[in-house]
Amino acid sequence: MAAAACRAVALVTGAAQGLGYATALRLAADGFGVAVNDISNDGRLAGLADRIGGLAVPGDIADPDAVIAMTRAVAEQFGRVDVLVANAAAMGMGSFLTQDPKIWWRQVEVNLSGHFRLIQAVVPQMRAAGGGRIVLIASGWGVTGHPNATAYAASKAGLIALAKGLGRELAPQGILANAIAPSYIDTEQLRVDADDAGITLDEIRQRYRELIPTGQLAAVEDIAAAVAFLAGPGGSAFVGQILQPGGGVTRTRA
Amino acid sequence: MTAGPEARSPVAVITGAASGIGAATAALFGQRGWRTAGIDLRPSDADLSLQCDVTEAAAVRSAVDAISARFGGIDAAVTAAGYYEEGLDICDITKAQWDSMLQVILGGTVNTCAAVLPHMIAAERGTIIAISSELALGGSATDLHYVCAKGAVLGLIKSLAAEFAATPIRLNVVAPGPTDTPLLAPDSLWREPGYLATLPLGRLVRPAEVAATVYYLATEGSMYCGEVLSPNAGAVI
Repeated sequence: MAAAACRAVALVTGAAQGLGYATALRLAADGFGVAVNDISNDGRLAGLADRIGGLAVPGDIADPDAVIAMTRAVAEQFGRVDVLVANAAAMGMGSFLTQDPKIWWRQVEVNLSGHFRLIQAVVPQMRAAGGGRIVLIASGWGVTGHPNATAYAASKAGLIALAKGLGRELAPQGILANAIAPSYIDTEQLRVDADDAGITLDEIRQRYRELIPTGQLAAVEDIAAAVAFLAGPGGSAFVGQILQPGGGVTRTRA
Repeated sequence: MTAGPEARSPVAVITGAASGIGAATAALFGQRGWRTAGIDLRPSDADLSLQCDVTEAAAVRSAVDAISARFGGIDAAVTAAGYYEEGLDICDITKAQWDSMLQVILGGTVNTCAAVLPHMIAAERGTIIAISSELALGGSATDLHYVCAKGAVLGLIKSLAAEFAATPIRLNVVAPGPTDTPLLAPDSLWREPGYLATLPLGRLVRPAEVAATVYYLATEGSMYCGEVLSPNAGAVI
């Protein structure tokens, strides 16, 4: 077994870009051994793993076989998972009545069901180790809802409820589950949103800023810091809580 | 000549710094290289200890002005001053008890915010973190005066956060669960095994855990605006 086994180990899903990428960098900087997952096995994931001395475990978390293979690969390299950061997400905007049901359900399959199976796979390791942390990346839209985002909002609201239920169920075993519900983050997704809306990147940034009381989009590093807090020593009394670093968008409603 | 903000250590004002959560907060900020000023009725171990009653607005203003003059500004204020009276039925709370609780917890927070905000406005930076309680989120069958005062702090800070949202000044709340401090008497019901067994974490919150939450908000919390972080051992989910 690798010498890394004495370090705490984090598994971050959806880590090839954006928030997941920044979170992997932050946790590595904080001293974690880090395994990174994303659906695509392109150079970005491998490059990230190289950069942080971690392990790339590509795979679709909506595929139960892939989840088993992924957690087995992490266990072989690091021995176990101490911190799971459930960040991977599928998103597709569309009207509730006309959106293709396949696209609607794919979001629930990845965001909620995929992480459900991944949690099932890692919790026995956390129990054996005497504890662990689960950080679910939910969304401000899971708190407030959003037009033409019913599947995404429902899946993310499901993660909020999952954090609360897991928090109650697993805390007696030293496994602390919490969620973060960010609002508008300055990531690559803004380019997609801009294209969907038929406007420029600067225009979508301005449109979102106007929805935020502080007028500031979150940087990925802001949200990665929230993950690091919940995963680190300072988060040891948080159980089933929903952090909302969104500049005041959600007003603590979760 | 005015020193830039990078030219000095960051400065934290902590009320209730002589014991419990306030003392743990002052200790943690001190360990992390901040200069700390404690405001309390009793002496504190902060770098600068000022004995002052938080219900006296003018005294708090003078103390805060002195801290700013001494340390060159105020970057964070943490309002932890408070006390607790356990086991009082609503019908048994006297007007004096009600008024005093509101004056210390709500009035103390008001007075501290009013004293530090002018300094933060002038510096165009700053963060205020108020200590409330999980009882303000979940309610309580007894001690209504304490619960109401802590709940009022939520409304105060959320409203101030909205008022200052367009500025770099941030205001947020930490609402701890039952915490192992001198406010809980040795025979407190909150220390009984039967109560602790109802908490998912099965134990009281430690003052250092509350301090760590405050420190996180003060140092990496610029995206929180009027939020409530609750390290509560699962007491309120």
